[in-house]
Amino acid sequence: MTEQEIIEKVNMVFEESFEKDRALLKPDAHIFTDLGLDSLDIVDLVVALQKSFGIQIREEEKIRDIRTLQDIYQFIIEVKNKKEVSGS
Amino acid sequence: MIRYDDIVIGSGISGMTMSLILAMNGHKVLLIEKGPYIGGSMARFSKRGIPFDTGFHFTGGLHKGGILDDILSVLDMHDGIEPVFMSDDDANSFVFENDGKRYDMPYGIEKLKLRMKAYFPEEACGIDSYFDKVQNVCKGTPSMSLGTLLNKFDPLQEDYITCEEVLTGITANPVLKALFSTFAMCYGVKPNEISFANHSRISYGLYESVARVKNGGAAFIDAFEAKFRQYDVEVRCGCHVTGMTEIRENMAGRFILNTGEEISATNCIFTIHPKEVLKVMPEQQVSKAFRARVSAFEPSAGCFSIFGVLDPGFDEPGYGSKLVTLLPGTDFNQMLDPFNEGDSALILVKTLEQVGEKKHKVIVAIEPSFPEQVEAWKDSQVGRRPEAYKEYKEKKVEHLLNRIYKYFPGYRGKLSVSDAASVLTFRDYLHNNDGSSYGVKQKIGQFNLRGRLPVKNCYAAGQSSILPGVIGAMMSSLIVAQSLVKEDDYAKFLNRRPRR
Repeated sequence: MTEQEIIEKVNMVFEESFEKDRALLKPDAHIFTDLGLDSLDIVDLVVALQKSFGIQIREEEKIRDIRTLQDIYQFIIEVKNKKEVSGS
Repeated sequence: MIRYDDIVIGSGISGMTMSLILAMNGHKVLLIEKGPYIGGSMARFSKRGIPFDTGFHFTGGLHKGGILDDILSVLDMHDGIEPVFMSDDDANSFVFENDGKRYDMPYGIEKLKLRMKAYFPEEACGIDSYFDKVQNVCKGTPSMSLGTLLNKFDPLQEDYITCEEVLTGITANPVLKALFSTFAMCYGVKPNEISFANHSRISYGLYESVARVKNGGAAFIDAFEAKFRQYDVEVRCGCHVTGMTEIRENMAGRFILNTGEEISATNCIFTIHPKEVLKVMPEQQVSKAFRARVSAFEPSAGCFSIFGVLDPGFDEPGYGSKLVTLLPGTDFNQMLDPFNEGDSALILVKTLEQVGEKKHKVIVAIEPSFPEQVEAWKDSQVGRRPEAYKEYKEKKVEHLLNRIYKYFPGYRGKLSVSDAASVLTFRDYLHNNDGSSYGVKQKIGQFNLRGRLPVKNCYAAGQSSILPGVIGAMMSSLIVAQSLVKEDDYAKFLNRRPRR
């Protein structure tokens, strides 16, 4: 999966599962202040990302550090890379 | 008009616990129940004067220092709740129906290990390894003890590995593997779907001790009712919340009942099935992602139960509280599959019920069952079920009785069936959404509905929140109440142990 595909898919989660306007989905958009999510939405975001990418997200600490869309892109890219390297 | 601090929705063991915790901490509480009386599946029912347990048959954790014993201390509820411990030598017997081989299991981890090693001497290392793993999970889980309840919980490695994978790594012996898996019946999830961590957290208490309670779940209900009078908890049956209004900054000001009445409260705590919670959340407050998460929850196993009594003249030496499980095979993944067409494990809960001067030998037989098995009649209601459903029930009762008679031939002609219940019976009498016995299926990696909800002054607790069963449901209330009570006060509350 290319980085561009990952970005596109993450944006789709925000558009479809959180009904956010595509125009707002810029890499530096802050997920709380710009996109209006709150701490409770994070669980639903994780579940939606897991489903969309077919991955299991367990790095709780890293998830808590996420602030911008770019952070999410980066996080998924890392998880995906790890998965491909381990071959699972 | 009265303004409550908290409305608690659903009066099962979690709702009753939540109401009492909040009231003991000075809150003005209203407890709301959809059915005609409180208690949920803790309630008993009577046929011809003989009481039967509906959903609460036995539990772990009631021994001195056990988790349930400790919870009862904090709630000052030991009066009226009298544990009846099963024999610590053979509380649980497992019989494999194909060859009639029987394994009598004691409780107490060391005793249990010794017994299992006697049955499977060549598997001694695996047996030690299994119990070490179970104990390590429980030691690493703060919510397994009230003393560490408020500590931060970090998932363990075992939260991400299935019970099946761990057991396969421990032994290749299918019978031993089945015996390790048996308490899957106490959470209703296949070994290849539940994490080893959650399997351990639920099974551990039952490895330590197995007890019933005198008067069953009714003893809990009576004890809670007495406490509600003491702490002014108001209880209303026959109503439920249909929605909320006066929503400002994601907080609801008033909660609408099915009667049309609006109730004003600071917080609302739902201890009902997550899918029922979703129904009352205002649409504009809920993201599609939240809706998708809750909608994707699957039901845990429900059950088909027979409620029977042995003839008063029938003599069985030593008849008393005991569990006998008949196993048609060793594969719990198959036995707990909604589409399983063969037999499943059949637990016989044998008890002696005293009514006045008379003692009745009661047997409740429970086999896992799923909504899929009664799908054809799902739209029917109590009292108006079609003929085909009645036939299904009759055939099922006959089949289960035959399995029982095969192992207990003396019961033939001596065991009279007072009643039988299917998944639909449980669904409709207990208002529990899908007829499951343990709420939402606890699948590995799942994010349950727990604590604050999208409407910020609403919270979720209950057996679907953390772990199923009486202990899981009570713990969920103890944990979620932390968000509703002042922190210092709550730590003090959890540390109190009124005199016994």
